[in-house]
Amino acid sequence: MRRRAALGGLLVSAAAQVAAAQSLPELRLDVGYAGVRQQALGPSDPEQATDAALIALFWRRPAERWEFLTSANLTYTRDSLAAAQGVAAFAFPWLGSEHLRTDVGAAGATFSLRSAGRGGNGNVFARQHYVRDQWGTWLGAASAISSRDGTRSRAFAGDLGAWTRWRFLYGSASYSRSSSTDRPLLITSGATVSPFAIGYEIEDAQLVLEARNGPHQIGVSWVTRRLVAGGDLSERALLASVSVQMTDRVSVLLGAGKQLFDPLRGLPSADLVTAALRVSLGPKTLPVMQRSALSQATVTRLAGGGGRLEVRVLASDTVHVEVAGDFSDWKPLPLEREGSFWVARAELPRGKYHVGVRLRQGSWRAPRNLARVRDDYGGDSGLVVIP
Amino acid sequence: MSMHRRVSTLVALVLASVSAAPAFAQGTVVLPIADAKARQAVEREIAQAAAKGLPTQPLVSKAMEGVTKQATGEQIQVAVASKAKRLEQARALLAPSPSVAELTSGADALDVGVPASMLKQIRAAWPATQSVAMPLDVLTELVARGIPAKLALVQITNLMARGATPSQIAALGSSVQADIASGLPPDAALEVRARGVMSLLPSPAAAASLAPTRTGPPR
Repeated sequence: MRRRAALGGLLVSAAAQVAAAQSLPELRLDVGYAGVRQQALGPSDPEQATDAALIALFWRRPAERWEFLTSANLTYTRDSLAAAQGVAAFAFPWLGSEHLRTDVGAAGATFSLRSAGRGGNGNVFARQHYVRDQWGTWLGAASAISSRDGTRSRAFAGDLGAWTRWRFLYGSASYSRSSSTDRPLLITSGATVSPFAIGYEIEDAQLVLEARNGPHQIGVSWVTRRLVAGGDLSERALLASVSVQMTDRVSVLLGAGKQLFDPLRGLPSADLVTAALRVSLGPKTLPVMQRSALSQATVTRLAGGGGRLEVRVLASDTVHVEVAGDFSDWKPLPLEREGSFWVARAELPRGKYHVGVRLRQGSWRAPRNLARVRDDYGGDSGLVVIP
Repeated sequence: MSMHRRVSTLVALVLASVSAAPAFAQGTVVLPIADAKARQAVEREIAQAAAKGLPTQPLVSKAMEGVTKQATGEQIQVAVASKAKRLEQARALLAPSPSVAELTSGADALDVGVPASMLKQIRAAWPATQSVAMPLDVLTELVARGIPAKLALVQITNLMARGATPSQIAALGSSVQADIASGLPPDAALEVRARGVMSLLPSPAAAASLAPTRTGPPR
């Protein structure tokens, strides 16, 4: 039924909001498409898939001791919905402790959903983090009020979890327990509801695994849920996502899987397939993109001061490779063959240098591991600092 | 060709090309810009910069970059004029007597979007006799990596206040680069690495007592 696609669309926007909150730039726009399918409630209400359009705006302002971020989402499906959702949060470290950080915030949504009524939702949350270099833990709590066709309901939730990072891998495990009186939400999510219960309680266990390579990211989230009071429900959900940066201002986001209903936000379960473009609108571009050319620049410090810059490019021995930079007054220098690599080395005094590499007389590119700066000529250069 | 010989050849090429730069600036060598009108405009821009006491080598380098990248004469002219403007701006921000290296570093920092006020803050963090070229360079690199300028500035000025050497500040940039390459988000990498460097430095009070003795030739 198309009406429930609208609810799924809200889920998509919430997911986009969470994804946006985890990355860096200050002003971004996500625009995309979602294919939404919701489960059947019975023989007279079959499973149905519908399209949805989604748009999300994210703004973040970091300061010395705290950080403010806000985002807004709008989701629209063809026949039934215009929904908006916003969230604002502060994140700040505790004075005197570099390992403790607190997030507090509030979020609100308004919706018009045929399957689960018209109304709105507001929630507040707080989460305390203990952060070390390669691992961390958190403990959080949230409270929400929803209004659905004039009927109010309340929800509370608590969660605890831990994360760790090893090289390019990130993983987290968490447990949460939620209680809610939003029975229509539970019904639209396919659970068998006890006729005598005023509310219900659920517990979730979640595992997240992500692999990150610069701004590119692939992740999988797995949740198992059990209804511990107020009805009967046991389900699992797997959600996969990929983020690939195309340019320094545009990324492509893809996602697929199942998202479970959220009693805090009042959002029902849905199977989702999403595709979106993320565009950086502010003065800051997206994080530095890893480029496809396998070129790399490294610096070795020299005992007498300055350092040795080494540029290595993985390319066939039939390919003509050149390196240039302000250290050579942009005169292209030839590279030498060493095994599978083309290599150039130069001993340079302390300072900052721009570096470019090109193959087959093509465009000049920054070596992939260097910071990139615009070159005033429509391209970019790599930036390296010799200590 | 042996490795040593290759290195020597490259170093010789580098030195030869760098030493050729002032000749362009003095107008004794014609810039290899095909468009004669644009070439004259660029040379005029460089001469004007020299008359104002600005360093000309960064302008020549910018023009040569355009030539190598096969930019149009007009593009080169605009790029050189823009670089001259940023050098002038950097000189005002890094007053009273910035070195050539500081001016170049300041102009590059402005290039990547570092706010002008931050150049002043960096300058104020160390005595006027001590070059701030390296802190500016590291700030530029961090901002180019996507780290918010404010966050990078706080970490760098903290290190400067704690008596970090230019090498220690440079090491912050290279450590952050390694962390980002291994997948750490840029701002998290900066936070972690700044904390690591900070632990090696004296307390702010001790650093303050050392400050008058901190001297070093401007680069």
